[in-house]
Amino acid sequence: MTRKNLIIMAILIAIFGFSLWALLPLQAPENGEAAEKLGKTGLQFGLDLVGGVHLVYESDFSANATDEEKFSSMERALTIIQKRIDKYGVTEPVIQSQGTERIIIQLPGFTDIETAKSLVEQTGFLEFREVELDNTGQPVYLSDYLQMDPLQFIDGTEIEDRIFIAEIPGEEAIEYLTVGFLVQDENGINFRDASGEPTDNTSLQAYANSLSWIRARGDDGTPLTGNLLSDAAAGIDRSKVIPKYIISIEFNSEGAVVFDDIASRLYPSGSNDLLQGRVGILIDDSMLSAPYIRQSHYGGTGQIEGNFTLEKAAELANLLKSGALPMPLKKPPIYQERVSATLGKNFIDMSWTAGIIGVVLVMAFMILYYRIPGLLASLALLFYVVLVLMLFKEIPVTLSLAGLGGFILSIGMAVDANVLIFERMKEELRTGRTLSAAVEAGFNRAWSAIRDSNITTIIVCIILYWLGSSIVASAPVMGFALTLGLGVLISMLTAIIVTRTLLRLVVSSPLSRRTALFRIDRGRNK
Amino acid sequence: MKFDIISKRFWFFAISGVVLLVGIISLITAGLPSGIEFSSGSLLTVSFQEDVDHDEFVAEMGNLGYTDIIVQETRAGEFLIRTHELTDPEKTEIENALAMRFGEVSEAQFTSVSPMIASETTSNAVIAVVIAAVGILAYVTWAFRRMPKPLHYGACAIVALVHDALIALGVFSVLGAIMGLQLNLMFITGVLAVIGYSVNNTVVIFDRIRENLTRGIGGDFETIVNNSLVETLGRSLNTSITTLIVILALLFFVGATIQNFVIVLIIGVVAGTFSSVCIAPSLLVVWDNGEWGRFVPRFLAAKSKA
Repeated sequence: MTRKNLIIMAILIAIFGFSLWALLPLQAPENGEAAEKLGKTGLQFGLDLVGGVHLVYESDFSANATDEEKFSSMERALTIIQKRIDKYGVTEPVIQSQGTERIIIQLPGFTDIETAKSLVEQTGFLEFREVELDNTGQPVYLSDYLQMDPLQFIDGTEIEDRIFIAEIPGEEAIEYLTVGFLVQDENGINFRDASGEPTDNTSLQAYANSLSWIRARGDDGTPLTGNLLSDAAAGIDRSKVIPKYIISIEFNSEGAVVFDDIASRLYPSGSNDLLQGRVGILIDDSMLSAPYIRQSHYGGTGQIEGNFTLEKAAELANLLKSGALPMPLKKPPIYQERVSATLGKNFIDMSWTAGIIGVVLVMAFMILYYRIPGLLASLALLFYVVLVLMLFKEIPVTLSLAGLGGFILSIGMAVDANVLIFERMKEELRTGRTLSAAVEAGFNRAWSAIRDSNITTIIVCIILYWLGSSIVASAPVMGFALTLGLGVLISMLTAIIVTRTLLRLVVSSPLSRRTALFRIDRGRNK
Repeated sequence: MKFDIISKRFWFFAISGVVLLVGIISLITAGLPSGIEFSSGSLLTVSFQEDVDHDEFVAEMGNLGYTDIIVQETRAGEFLIRTHELTDPEKTEIENALAMRFGEVSEAQFTSVSPMIASETTSNAVIAVVIAAVGILAYVTWAFRRMPKPLHYGACAIVALVHDALIALGVFSVLGAIMGLQLNLMFITGVLAVIGYSVNNTVVIFDRIRENLTRGIGGDFETIVNNSLVETLGRSLNTSITTLIVILALLFFVGATIQNFVIVLIIGVVAGTFSSVCIAPSLLVVWDNGEWGRFVPRFLAAKSKA
């Protein structure tokens, strides 16, 4: 019995010692020293505490994208965004999907929200389009749609958006201007202006002679987009009188087939300089060029012309190569948050103060009220605090402000099991049991109450965690649920095992004869 | 017996009834001032190098065309603005104008929530509260399955937690109207924490009732419930005290940002302790005695006696 107790005692001291060693020093090394898993790393704080940017975007998938397509596109998009962010040296960025359409980006310590957004939003979405044809094979203009009521797609086989592009003669070359879209959504077919906002017919009248462009697709219906690109590089086209900067592109094997499908279909018209024979090359809905197709075979290579400077051509090529997002993102982000670093630092300091004061006061209360058992419960509470912080660090749990709040709240609740046990002990003593019998009975009888009451708290924490994972602004809820739930679980352990071991030790010592220290009010019926 | 709690049950119901009534009236008339997480919009915290007068700040925002906004001075020279969902150009315009007027400005925090996210958050929060209630009902009923009427325990625990959640909402609505508090996600987190806390307390008392019933120590159900209550009273109060200690530490040392959370917790711990000790066990007795139909007569009788 005593021997067993001593062994448990030794194990507990070992756990405490290890936890303390793993925790200290609390703060991460300031001078950017490499952090180690044990001993050196500080606790991991959420971006509401260290400052940073939190963005949530919704993908703009086409209406008929399947779940598998969405899934694989999301996977690719995450990798691509990761690559772009990596160049900025953000430590521990979180880039993940939520559901099938949302992308969550958390950049702790990176507080430039504008840069963060442009980094993510530069979709570099390359696509090829062709002119929509009516049933007589003639090009469709915006005017055709403006006269139509109710709206329906003229080329009924193509149900995705139309882009209307005005061609304005510039000083050197033709300039392309995206004037609007025709899209089909839950409200039926409707017009959108250049920024994607719903609009009416009148505002588009000025550009009624714009051509309607639909996606260029291969024979199997695959649209030709940047997804099918294998390489892109900036170059100079010297075949012109004035040499021009171009982007030469190379398709992968699937892209090469799709491109040739399109080329051979458009070639007859293109070689006759008919509008129907042009292919439009667009990045992020802006047309760069719209050349006539003069060959029926391109063998997987091509070039994009436009009014580029060298820098612009290089930037575009880079964007196309390193990461065209598989799908565009809706702008603005559906959730955005930016916290400055100094604001967060204050919260950490304030939480420490609150935590330390909380622990000290709870310990003071326990000792004043329960004397020796209270002192032991206080030691168990210290054990609890150190153990939980160690777990936070090693798992690791990213601590948000709410998470710290949950942890501090759990300090107050952690002694609950001890309170239950001690109250029970006092009752047992009143019935005339010896101290050591009362200790054992107190623990045994209080167990069912401790178990059932804590399980209900844990149920709530699990549901809170689920709530957190299902909503966007989730950090506070999830952090709170995790720290409180973990806290309740660990406190059951520490309050019972640590306190019992210590109490057994004390009960077998001379101290146990000084009954006043145990607040034994035997015989008095309270 | 020194404490006879259960016999005063109709007084407790009356006290709860009054607080609930005030809360519900406030909820109906003033409503809950929902923050951007639930109603969409932007929160922008700007801080200035020098102290800026609150009224001048509001006036300047008015000049910029932002009249229908909420401005809160978080500390000297730092303001929290709540407005509609700001676009990037709008935000830049505000910050530039403020810098022109009051000197160098830095953006301490910016949050923007779209309507879609807001409505999702609202519905998920409601679902979470409902699932939590059902989960607890199921667990408590299961834990007390060997008792004669297990569903009574679950149902009374639920009534107690709904009572606490309603009081938290009601008092928050009153405070919201007075202090300009806004209901945010931390608030919902707080409400759920209160639910957990309230049930935790209730279950400890029910556990004692279960034990005393199984041991078959004399007396009718009402006496056993009362004895169980008195036996666990020390624990109920002490745990509330230690929990309140840390909550007050949070209130005084962390302050404004998690104010909502802390306020809900304080209301909830007080209401939760009251409901666990005074309401839930009383309900068990009322239900067991089949007193539902005699609420008002009993209350009037008790009143005339007093």
